[in-house]
Amino acid sequence: MRLLKLIPALIEVLSFLVFPACAVAATGAELIQANCVGCHIPDGEGRLSHIANQRKTPEGWLMTITRMQLIHQLNINALDSADPVSEMVKHLADAQGLAPAESQPFRYILERRLNTIENLDDEHFAGVCSRCHTGARAALQRRNEEEWTRLIHFHLGQYPSIEYSSGGRDREWFKFALNEVVPWLTEHFPLESPAWSEWREAAKPVQTGAWRVIGTMPGRGEFAGYIEAEETAKDRYTVKFRGEFDSGEALQGEGDAIVYTGYEWRASLSLGNGEYRQVLAGSADGATMQGRMYLLDHEETGMDLTATRIAGSRLLAVTPNRIRAGTSAQVRLSGFGLEGEITSDPGLKVISIVEQGTDGAVVEIQSDADAAPGVRTIKFGGSALSPALTVYPKIDYIKVLPEVAMARVGGNGGSQTPVNAAFEAWGWSNGADGAANTEDDLRIGVFPATWSVHAWDEVAEKGDDVRYAGVIDPATGVFTSPAAGPNPDRPGGVNNFGNLAVVAEVKDGETTVRGEAHLMVTVQRWNNPPLR
Amino acid sequence: MLSVKDLKQHLWSLAAVLLVGACSQSTSEQTPPANPAITGYMVAVNRPDNMHLIDLATNSIVRTCKLPAYAAPGTVLISPDRTVAYVLANRFREVYGLNIDTCALVFSTRQNHDNLRVISYGTIALSPDGRELYVHQNPTLIMNDHYEVQDTQIAVFDTAAGLEAAPVRSLPAPRQIMIMNTDAKGTLYLMGPDVHAMDVQSGALTTVIQGRSQDDPRYGSRDALTIWPIGAVANELIRLYTVAKYKDESRNLETADWLWGYDKIDLTTGAAESREFAPLEAVYFSGMHRPGHPDQIYMTFNQLKRFDVNAMTETGSADLDHSYYQVNFSPDGNRVYVSGALHDILAFDAETLEQVGKITLPGGDMALSTTAVFKR
Repeated sequence: MRLLKLIPALIEVLSFLVFPACAVAATGAELIQANCVGCHIPDGEGRLSHIANQRKTPEGWLMTITRMQLIHQLNINALDSADPVSEMVKHLADAQGLAPAESQPFRYILERRLNTIENLDDEHFAGVCSRCHTGARAALQRRNEEEWTRLIHFHLGQYPSIEYSSGGRDREWFKFALNEVVPWLTEHFPLESPAWSEWREAAKPVQTGAWRVIGTMPGRGEFAGYIEAEETAKDRYTVKFRGEFDSGEALQGEGDAIVYTGYEWRASLSLGNGEYRQVLAGSADGATMQGRMYLLDHEETGMDLTATRIAGSRLLAVTPNRIRAGTSAQVRLSGFGLEGEITSDPGLKVISIVEQGTDGAVVEIQSDADAAPGVRTIKFGGSALSPALTVYPKIDYIKVLPEVAMARVGGNGGSQTPVNAAFEAWGWSNGADGAANTEDDLRIGVFPATWSVHAWDEVAEKGDDVRYAGVIDPATGVFTSPAAGPNPDRPGGVNNFGNLAVVAEVKDGETTVRGEAHLMVTVQRWNNPPLR
Repeated sequence: MLSVKDLKQHLWSLAAVLLVGACSQSTSEQTPPANPAITGYMVAVNRPDNMHLIDLATNSIVRTCKLPAYAAPGTVLISPDRTVAYVLANRFREVYGLNIDTCALVFSTRQNHDNLRVISYGTIALSPDGRELYVHQNPTLIMNDHYEVQDTQIAVFDTAAGLEAAPVRSLPAPRQIMIMNTDAKGTLYLMGPDVHAMDVQSGALTTVIQGRSQDDPRYGSRDALTIWPIGAVANELIRLYTVAKYKDESRNLETADWLWGYDKIDLTTGAAESREFAPLEAVYFSGMHRPGHPDQIYMTFNQLKRFDVNAMTETGSADLDHSYYQVNFSPDGNRVYVSGALHDILAFDAETLEQVGKITLPGGDMALSTTAVFKR
């Protein structure tokens, strides 16, 4: 028994002895040779068939390798690598990735913004790609014509029902896909592009250093904090993250990050009780990183954030970023290297300073009763932020975002966790014309609200959806989805699906302004790859 | 004095009673009394690998055979001599022929071989003499590092070829075919975007109903989706379609009438018929004529509905406790059955639409399976 107890310790010691060898462990290129050659054939220059003529994001390459494992019986030969898949993804994404300008329009899918409604209504997309998965999933790839053709063959061969399902059977799908969509994809998402040629040659920033983080998380509010990153090997970092929400709630912890393709920052962080993933795009000049971080087991729950490298003096955020004309409010200023007087545009004045430091301040601001509606600049010493604060006379209407959301049942012994939803109440002013939803409307900001859910229509009323399909936190707007599986208490024994109206009631002075969004609580997704 | 023969008979009767008693644990909890007025059998398939022979007189399971592969999709055809059930199974890949009295596996296809992968949807049919099985194939060549989708075709199998039969000939066929059947003369009908008649010797194809290719300015595009080759008990191959019928030349979808229609082949004469018969007010997965009542169509999904085809009006409705995908009838048309989705089959009086029976299949869901009804 004692010997058995010693085994973990022995392994630890042996690992310690063995791991220094990993410093010269197999490279991604060597692993690709070891795992891919055989099915993929090298040409005279060593370029592997099928692989060489594609470019993808790190997530795209990861999905490719995973698909090889799942449906083409790839058993990974690790050589002496501790994490061979990661090494291969890194090599492929670096050598055959997307330029920042190429990924920029489609980052929502990398960032797991699950309620994004795509605006890719081109028939080539709608008829072939985005009727089954996001258009972004295709648009985050670059291929030559032969490879786009092979992608069509793969899709129809692997999923023959494509040409039978809705949006497929209304046409000669295979002909349309080959004759019209392939040329269109080749033109719009080509293998070779000036953006990629330039980015491939460009010097890439090293992200070591201290960063100021400004974020916002539906349900938890505004956040200000820090990232400290230190490069431990090329493109690999240790990361410390800390900060707090405006509510005073702290969020901090640490983890690791890898930078792919010179700008794709992917960090895994343990923050409080949550495991988070950061998906950020670094700017070419190394000054900022922007994107989202989300809970690994609840991708729908996350924070939009921008990290700015701490250098010099910058005022980055004023929160809350709105003030009602004729009132006073306490606001937080966040940045770095801040010194000097805090001032504002006419119509506003700083009436007291609650606290002040070089990274920010908390101040009381007074708005004149007759202050004109609109955005204002705040100056902190030599640093100005514009727009910093929006002055508004009253809230005319509320838009609840996301306007259309999808949540999913889960848990209850099943393999899929529930997908929740979180809403924000955005206040708007009608603007000078006094009419809502016109061009001169002023978006004010996010307001605290009292939240509730209601039946969306008569069918939902009849099905008692409000009773079965989950609950919303009246204070935070966070919707928690119900348990999965047939519910014997419901007529027909159906799942706890629901068609709900999410209502936000915002107090504005003596009145209450109401806004509404549409929430569909539906069944599980069983296939949840990184890019959907 | 009982003879040995009599004793044997008594013992068999006792065994039968015990066996039925055992079966009733799982199947007859809600089974109403036997209705001797109905004669006929149904073969139904459910997960994971069950093929049941059901006596429609008693709504009870006579026999459960094990399929040699996973049941999906479970499309069933009965041989003309009523001895063999052909089941499309193994995840849309192979057809198996089982003797329905002995459960013996007497036939199987070998569609997938080497680097060829073949998928077939509800597209299996038998020649009128039962000697040939027709399967619409969606083939793909799996190459070392890519796929090559091949042209679709009708593969013809000799049903006497036994196990792992290879096609005896192949005939080019359109893509996107959903269901098929043959008429009394042996012509094969393929229902896909359009409806085609195929000469199974020469492969010659004619279009007998224009569906997607129809270009009538009074109508929008037709849409049809089915995986249930139903209608045999009413001597038809039938599928539903939906279409918008415009009010005028402005072709305004807002004011158009949305309608259910059907495409039908008469299995005796081969006559093709295509017409609208009901307003499109709810979704149905399948529908067919009541045997002996060409003026009545029954459709199922979340409700069972009856429509008067000529008046285009609803004449009966029954609420269902869950979705049922496929509708079928007893040979005399007096019972209507709904099946699919879960693992129970409901029987209704076709006249009153009162539920008169429920057959609960041991095992899992029927999912997309197609039942076959026949008379012996």
